Amino acid sequence: MKTMKKQLIGGALGLTLALSFAAPSLALRVDDHEEDAYLAIVGGDIFAGTGEVLRGATLLSKNGKIEEIGYDLLLPDDCETIDAHGMRVYPGLVALSATTRLTQGTFAAGVEIHDFVPHEEHAEICGDCGKSFEEVVPPALDPGEFSTEHLAVDAFRTDFDDSFDPFSGYMVMALGNGITTVQQSSAAVKLKRGDISGVSLSEKTLTSQSWSGSNPAGKADLREKFRLATEYLADYRRWEEAVKSDKELKEPSKKGIDGRILDILQGRTMARFSANDRDDLLGIARLAQQFKFRPVIQGCVEGWTVAEELGRAGAYAIVTPRTRRDRPETTTYAAGSSIENAAILTRAGVQVAVVPANTSIDMGGISGRDLLSLPLEAGFAIRGGMDERSALESITVIPARLLGIDHRVGTLELGKDCDALITDGDLLHYQTFVQYTVVEGKLVYDKQEEVFYSHIRPRPEAVVDPGEEVSDEVEPVEAEETVEEVVEEESDEE
Amino acid sequence: MVALTSLTLLVAGTLVPGVSDDAYADVRPIEIHNAPVATPSLAIRCGRVLTMNAGDTILDPGMLLVENGDITYVGAPIEVPAGFESIELDQAWVTPGFIDLHSHIQAGGWGDTNDMVMPTNAEFSTRPTIVAGNPNVRRACAAGVTTIFGIPGSGTSISGFGVLLKTKTESTYEGAVLADPGGMKVAQTHNPERRSGDMGATRAGLGWLLEEINDRAAEARDLGTFDPALANLTRVHAGELPVLIHCAGNEGVANTVRMWKGRYDTHCAVSHGSFDGWYAADYVASMGVPVNHGPRTFNFNLGMKEGRFVGTSAAYVEAGVPLFSLNTDAPVIPQEELFLQGSVSVHHGADAYTMLKALTIHPARTFGIEDRVGSLEVGKDADLVIWTGDPLDPRTRAEVVVIDGEVQYQRTHDGQWF
Amino acid sequence: MKMRNLLVGLACVLGTQAPLLAAPASPTPDLFALRVGRAETVSQGTIEHAVILIENGKIVTIGQDLEIERGIRVIDRPDWVVTPGFVNCYSRAGMSSSGGSGTQPSVQASTELYPRQPIYGELLAAGVTTLGLYPPGNQIPGQAVVVSTAGDSLESMVVREGAYLKVLMQSNSKSKKTLRDGFGKADKHLEAVTEAREKHEKAKDKYDDELKKWKKYDDEEKAKKKEPVDPGDFLEPEPDDVAGAFLDLREGELNAMFSIRKAGDYLHLIDALDEEQLSWSLRVPLRNDIDLYEVAEKLGADERRVVVEPRLTLMPWTARERNIPAELDRAGARVVFIPNGDDLVNQEKWRHHVGHLVKRGMDPQAALAAMTHEPAVLLGVDETLGSLDVGKEATMLFFDGDPFQASTSLKAVMHAGDFVEEASAQ
Repeated sequence: MKTMKKQLIGGALGLTLALSFAAPSLALRVDDHEEDAYLAIVGGDIFAGTGEVLRGATLLSKNGKIEEIGYDLLLPDDCETIDAHGMRVYPGLVALSATTRLTQGTFAAGVEIHDFVPHEEHAEICGDCGKSFEEVVPPALDPGEFSTEHLAVDAFRTDFDDSFDPFSGYMVMALGNGITTVQQSSAAVKLKRGDISGVSLSEKTLTSQSWSGSNPAGKADLREKFRLATEYLADYRRWEEAVKSDKELKEPSKKGIDGRILDILQGRTMARFSANDRDDLLGIARLAQQFKFRPVIQGCVEGWTVAEELGRAGAYAIVTPRTRRDRPETTTYAAGSSIENAAILTRAGVQVAVVPANTSIDMGGISGRDLLSLPLEAGFAIRGGMDERSALESITVIPARLLGIDHRVGTLELGKDCDALITDGDLLHYQTFVQYTVVEGKLVYDKQEEVFYSHIRPRPEAVVDPGEEVSDEVEPVEAEETVEEVVEEESDEE
Repeated sequence: MVALTSLTLLVAGTLVPGVSDDAYADVRPIEIHNAPVATPSLAIRCGRVLTMNAGDTILDPGMLLVENGDITYVGAPIEVPAGFESIELDQAWVTPGFIDLHSHIQAGGWGDTNDMVMPTNAEFSTRPTIVAGNPNVRRACAAGVTTIFGIPGSGTSISGFGVLLKTKTESTYEGAVLADPGGMKVAQTHNPERRSGDMGATRAGLGWLLEEINDRAAEARDLGTFDPALANLTRVHAGELPVLIHCAGNEGVANTVRMWKGRYDTHCAVSHGSFDGWYAADYVASMGVPVNHGPRTFNFNLGMKEGRFVGTSAAYVEAGVPLFSLNTDAPVIPQEELFLQGSVSVHHGADAYTMLKALTIHPARTFGIEDRVGSLEVGKDADLVIWTGDPLDPRTRAEVVVIDGEVQYQRTHDGQWF
Repeated sequence: MKMRNLLVGLACVLGTQAPLLAAPASPTPDLFALRVGRAETVSQGTIEHAVILIENGKIVTIGQDLEIERGIRVIDRPDWVVTPGFVNCYSRAGMSSSGGSGTQPSVQASTELYPRQPIYGELLAAGVTTLGLYPPGNQIPGQAVVVSTAGDSLESMVVREGAYLKVLMQSNSKSKKTLRDGFGKADKHLEAVTEAREKHEKAKDKYDDELKKWKKYDDEEKAKKKEPVDPGDFLEPEPDDVAGAFLDLREGELNAMFSIRKAGDYLHLIDALDEEQLSWSLRVPLRNDIDLYEVAEKLGADERRVVVEPRLTLMPWTARERNIPAELDRAGARVVFIPNGDDLVNQEKWRHHVGHLVKRGMDPQAALAAMTHEPAVLLGVDETLGSLDVGKEATMLFFDGDPFQASTSLKAVMHAGDFVEEASAQ
């Protein structure tokens, strides 16, 4: 059983750790740099996001990555700990299309980032690596093939790195509601509070394409582009074979081929369509199946009417479950919106990501429909029949996949970033609060310490010092004693 | 879904009120009942029944019997009597249908909400704008909202009188109305200023507009004089009709209570009470005025600049305001998401059961219709909802909705509307 | 420090009880002593019953209850409190031009200086004895100049040119790029110098070889060939404005003052400066809800000099107050105050505003240092100004009480040993 195996591995690793720490603390020092930083989340019910649940387990992070998840882990002496007994641990949430206020802050520099320009200079990213830009940018759909060793964390930069406000109040609000990674314009940015290094994770993994019944010429145009690009790729492959025997053979010309379409076909980016009407959705599904790519469909309100077709096309859908669109009275077939949309799409094999109706933060008093209520929105997908696991994935793994960063975030697995939420209950329950948020192994939010929510059902004080052993035993409260004390006080007053 | 017969229309026709000198002999609002229609008797048995009665009775499991539109039994499960249709859902919860005292969905959309002729239009009513069984109403019903107070907007200081309606999915005005007029709608601040003409750009002007007309109505009540334009307003001053007042902000809420309760002693309720209105909660509680809260349910930095998320529902309840209830101001928030107002209120610190009361018995008592709706008790209208779980949880859905003893919505039969 | 043994002597005491007649009527002699109730030296703390011996405009001795040698004139003011003159390091008083946007690091503010304007006299009478005047504009507008408000000519006013390079910094690529480019240019210049040097050496070697050959030629061959030309000594190429300024910054010949707008900017600034070792200070306008407190600890750890107004701020989205200058001081940062505004009224009220912050929790010693010694260090004139120490200029202010109390008046101003004619009582 997978869980058992993990325990054994956990134990083994734990032993190894213990052995390495048996030596005096000097042994911990790595030659030139600072000591390793450890953080352990102890005793919570860990919902890894993979379907696995480990109850009362411990998660150990080293230098921001998940080092180990298991039971009875031996922790390093200087390990910072968070007591998660009686609480749950979830992966940090990934919010698509989030307001740029999150990372630009309240005192933004005044440079509005609408169209952002990615770094053209390969040298700035890789230095003297010998690889071309194309070889370095990961293909979004095959996480298995991609290797991260080449892209150092702080080598990858977008414009958001230089304008990142690490003290943004909006960021703190988002962290307090479970969001740890956000899409800002076309970049994926980590909400690294207090830190400006390595905040951008990816960029331009989604390329906008247009397919609409109101623009038939556009549809024909797009289809033609795909056809030409596909032909070119086929020609190119043939040439690659042929040129081995005939060196003189000229390479097929790239002229007239749309580079973006090539990127889509070669998996360097994903085509994102904004479409809601059933006919448009069918058209996109067929286009995708014909030219063999997996479309991302934003909106997809009537997706439930053509779910099978979308599933066959391997589509992704970015939906808001509560979106309402009334069925026109003149139609006789299924049309309009349905609360069951997300569930039906999922069952047909579409990978569904959920976004709220308002991807900004409402400060005016209307709660439950903005970015801070991302878990509630996923809850509405469950209302429509989606299963709990897919609902959690819709706000973690699937958006991570769309941003090309699911090798780093979205689940709690060994080797991934330690982005975790510690909640006082079921994340998707309306009463639950995030008590602690950890981003890359650092505690960046404590509900009790921040002014925003500390007054709501404050946590009873059970402070654990780092390194102190966490005991499962809780001293029983002597109820009678308390009552007697009260009675005594009253009698004094007389 | 029962079609109304011509018999019902005839009956309705004979009940049209006429004008008489003795205009205030009638102490109850105008009511029009549908003629008793043969509806199947229902026996509903579910895992949990939240009666929302005075004793806060919760039955685990529980049973209800429904005959001729009313509840005839609430209690522990018993044997299903002969001739009753049985609905048995072991894991399901049953609650009374939800009541929203601040809704604009009766006309079917955004139109017909505000008629801004004079700064005060006490002679208006939403009756002519009602489109019974419109899509918003149907969806609201499928989400457990069974009674709404369909009111005009807040473009003027007194926008008119609203109608208390049941959200029957296929109906007419006669079939759906609970009380007409149901009550009066006032907008004290935070909207009328934007549109008032010569007088009413500030609170001084708005205050005068209201006092002037109210004083005239009070005088008409005392002297027994009759003015068609003031007829309903005078009934408010006679305590026969409730008045719902849209107001917000610290001083806005206090002002409203001071005028409508302190000065005129009407059967009034604060509606909205948004932003930092909760700062006046103690005063409102001391004056015994109920608060109908929403669509905003937290206060962050509008008003007294808290800089933190203050759960205003919890704040009002803690201060002791009586009969705290919730609204959506639909379509500001979609009517079907009335329950969510309860969910987010709980999230920001309120007690879950109290918020359920805020959706059922509290709004019923605020408007004096608790003899008909608001709780599952013998003799009351059979307005009830069968849920798959906690109704405040967005993951829960409504399975069956019954209004006046008739099944209005059944998910397995009608598909999931929400 | 030489300690002189002084005897109590018959001193010509110009006693005056009338509050209006503050400054002594006759000019001070070359050597005289001051005896005051209290001296706030800033560098050595408070000295009660302080005696200050001044010769040729400099402080030669300062101590408590020192005996004064017979024959030296003593000015006795037992109810006075003396402080160093106030230093406003960030001003454009008396300057009116507006600037553009760009990188012109060699622009000197001193070129705009127009002495003998009434404002300087008024500032002097209000206690602001030294000013740091900066050039106008965005990005990198140029270098500041230190002036004495007591001067009436360019020579007598200018104390030090090139006091600091003003740089505006924001959290965006453009700002950080400007900095990186600046250092990039400095690097390129150094490379160019190295190249030129190598080239010159090659030319020199070539010349040596050719000269050897030439010497071996006979006249006939010499007539045919050209005589080799001596390339001469190596002339190091001059850097352009930008490269020059950044080189000076690197070598410590020029300080920088970076203006930022929020806490996050500080981290970006550190990032942009990367490995560069510079001497620099920070200017942060304390806007209503600024989040500077987020980096207070880091500023303290870096012992950063931070130029701020004496202003209370609010926590964002709230009406809760914060005393950021006090927090910065407690964290270990070196606070430098400037007045709330550059106009005369604000400069006159400067000490009242600082006093308000003291009432709200700021350490009074740190507050006074922020108006005197710290700005003097920032301007690079702390050898002569900013505190009451032996060897420093006798430029000081005389109050009839705690300078931070609103009821206190400024009775007299002394510049380099001489009392200023009209000291306005505030």
